[in-house]
Amino acid sequence: MKSLKDLVLTECDSLKQRVPCDFVGIALQNRHDPDITWPYAMGNRNEKYKYITVRYGKGIAGKVISSGTPMEITGFPENILGKITDYPIMLAEKLVAAYSVPLVWNGLPKGALLIGYRHARQFDEQEKQKLREVARNLESFLPSHFTDE
Amino acid sequence: MELEAGNQACSYIIQSQEEEIKRVALELHESINQNLYTMQTGLNFIEAGIENQELKSYAKEMAGLMERTIREVRLLSVELYPNTLSTLGLVSAMKSYSKLFTNTFGILIDVHSSGEEKLLSDQKSMAAFRVCQEALINIAKYADTDHAKIEFTWGEISVRIDIKDAGKGFDANEVMESGSANGIAAMRERLRLVGGQCDLSSELDKGTTVSINLPIQ
Repeated sequence: MKSLKDLVLTECDSLKQRVPCDFVGIALQNRHDPDITWPYAMGNRNEKYKYITVRYGKGIAGKVISSGTPMEITGFPENILGKITDYPIMLAEKLVAAYSVPLVWNGLPKGALLIGYRHARQFDEQEKQKLREVARNLESFLPSHFTDE
Repeated sequence: MELEAGNQACSYIIQSQEEEIKRVALELHESINQNLYTMQTGLNFIEAGIENQELKSYAKEMAGLMERTIREVRLLSVELYPNTLSTLGLVSAMKSYSKLFTNTFGILIDVHSSGEEKLLSDQKSMAAFRVCQEALINIAKYADTDHAKIEFTWGEISVRIDIKDAGKGFDANEVMESGSANGIAAMRERLRLVGGQCDLSSELDKGTTVSINLPIQ
């Protein structure tokens, strides 16, 4: 039987085949506090994502989870809200463009799926749709993360 | 004469800003957060006494939101002014900040201190802390590395602090001449005002070192 990590990374891999992104990351809220970490990544340049903890409402993942809506950055660090240090995953992975959608569990946004590029880029509706589809698949794995199932 | 007056004004402005930041941080931590904590305890008490399930769940949600707010305010307060600086000293404050920095940017920081740590004045320890903070932020923004070191070397009359990374480095002369090094100039100025000195050396693909020398008295 495949582990949760294998299942998640298989989905990330299939997403990477469908959209030509440089980086795929999944951020999830901790089980017992509102902080958010990046437990899964693909296409990463280093291991920084493993140590990053984002506060609820901060950074891309924190904002996507607190608002429950997608977030798009097309030419980091131009035209961003706040300081560039408010976007640690963009800095850590040298991303210039990113699109992120919420991952919902029990009716609440509890995670974020993010695709990133290391060059400036606009995101079209087709790409966003593919990301939403993969997000729905990933949501089926969330009970294993948030419960003792 | 005019230059000295300018320096004194600059020093006064920095000191006033630091005092104001400290006041706001302490107010957040010691007054506002204490009140929020009392309110959270009250909400938990009310929730326990409610029988209506819908209202009970609403009160629980409010208590959870209050708990989150308390954490946010506490972190904001620490970000503004590290209380450990005046209670435990510069090395402890930097160790504490380094943990926060690793959690924020994913960059691991080794903090090492040799020699006996001496007590610095508030102004000097704050200047050194802010310069170290600025150097670390620059590493997160530009160095492209996942590791850095802070080394404190305590002497009888001065302390030397080296902030080193093995990142991509840059041509220091070119950056200084281009006038785009405001952060570095501010670090130097901040230390000069408390009698210290800040030097920077960098080499492409080899990394950057910021060295601080600060008299203890």
